[in-house]
Amino acid sequence: MLRRILPLAGLGGLIGFGVYWWLTIPATVAASALPAYQPNLANGLTTFNAGGCSSCHAVPKQDDRTRLGGGLAIPSPFGTFYAPNISPDPNDGIGRWSEADFVTAVMKGTSPSGTHYFPAFPYTSYQHARVNDVRDLFAYLKTLPPVAGKVRDHDVPFPFDIRRNVGVWKFLFMDGKPFVADASRSAHWYRGAYLVNSLGHCAECHSPRNFLGGIVSSQRFAGCSNPEGEGWVPNITPRGLSDWSVKDVAYFLESGQTPDGDSAGGSMVGVIRNTSQLSSTDRDAIAEYIKSLPPVEGPPKPLKKEKQS
Amino acid sequence: MKRIVVVAVVGGLLLGAGAVMADQKIAVEQDNLMRGQAKSMYNVIGKMVKGDIPYDQAAVDAAIADLEASVPKIPTVFATNPKEDVKDATYGSSPKIWKNKADFDSKVPPVSKAIADVKGKIKDLDGLKVAFKSINDRCTDCHEVYRVKLK
Repeated sequence: MLRRILPLAGLGGLIGFGVYWWLTIPATVAASALPAYQPNLANGLTTFNAGGCSSCHAVPKQDDRTRLGGGLAIPSPFGTFYAPNISPDPNDGIGRWSEADFVTAVMKGTSPSGTHYFPAFPYTSYQHARVNDVRDLFAYLKTLPPVAGKVRDHDVPFPFDIRRNVGVWKFLFMDGKPFVADASRSAHWYRGAYLVNSLGHCAECHSPRNFLGGIVSSQRFAGCSNPEGEGWVPNITPRGLSDWSVKDVAYFLESGQTPDGDSAGGSMVGVIRNTSQLSSTDRDAIAEYIKSLPPVEGPPKPLKKEKQS
Repeated sequence: MKRIVVVAVVGGLLLGAGAVMADQKIAVEQDNLMRGQAKSMYNVIGKMVKGDIPYDQAAVDAAIADLEASVPKIPTVFATNPKEDVKDATYGSSPKIWKNKADFDSKVPPVSKAIADVKGKIKDLDGLKVAFKSINDRCTDCHEVYRVKLK
């Protein structure tokens, strides 16, 4: 009896492993898939600001947003991630990367050596970007100062440190669908929808996540407790922004000033540093889209905040 | 002996209750200080900069004077960790303040300097816009790290 079961179990295991391996193959973009292209540096800068690259990758505790030596610690329930060096330094940054390497990293979440990046890098949003925006960004990053210094490894405990498993995560939470225009809406609205859902990656912080770290899609943009540990990330559907006009949202993205007489704090300060550099047309588009979202009730807040110590 | 124990226990309970009450009192005191500054900064100057209310020289001067007097109080008013947030408040203090109190305190003099740099020099809306940004950027330097949004 056992003699019969053992080979079967072994075969089952082998097939299972094969499926796992096949399912978790890191996706790439081949250089041949990128036709000849003259990059637009001005649009690369817009992409840089809309994408918020410097919020995580700029060297912490200094004011130059273009020194992308990395090093910022990003705490999460799965461990602490350290933003890597994406300056054009040939040894420690992305100076030796090909354009296809870069497009693959940003839009597929796969490193040049063919491993999965952790989704702390918001490629689940960036996958919706237009390839040409990403190519412009690559050209723009190449113009920035190289910063020497390798960033330390992520501090992520077992089992989350097995990068191959990120492939399963991607299978579950990365739809891979291109972002399509809504024919019933204006081009201005679509621009806002595009910026918010791809480069702006707003949902990455403003949505609750399930126990695997995937965004709860029914409560997208509806706020959550701060994954970095302290406080609350607000609901930015009209349920949370009922007192805000489209103009208020746009002014907030420009100045950091809220309509109730206060200014942005926490991680949003860095976001405002990015959005304040966008064109007012882009900010208005984001505001129009945000205010057009369906109002969604977010997750309940803890009734009594646990004591801080 | 029994009596001493009872007294000690009751005393301990009272102290504990006192500490809890004091916590909320300290939290409110800290919140009020920041709210007072927000009033001058955002409800007066901020609204003029945004164009919600007309430029008013007297109101600007009063707001700047208020900020100049109030901002240096921050390190003292925030000397103690209240270990709880003001009930139903939108913002709270990060416990990091009291882990890095020296760093927290070091964020305050730049705010005062920004205020001193513009005091008496604001004559019109354009000047106010520049002044507002120079002060607000320094407020934000601290709020980025030490203020917590609660809802």
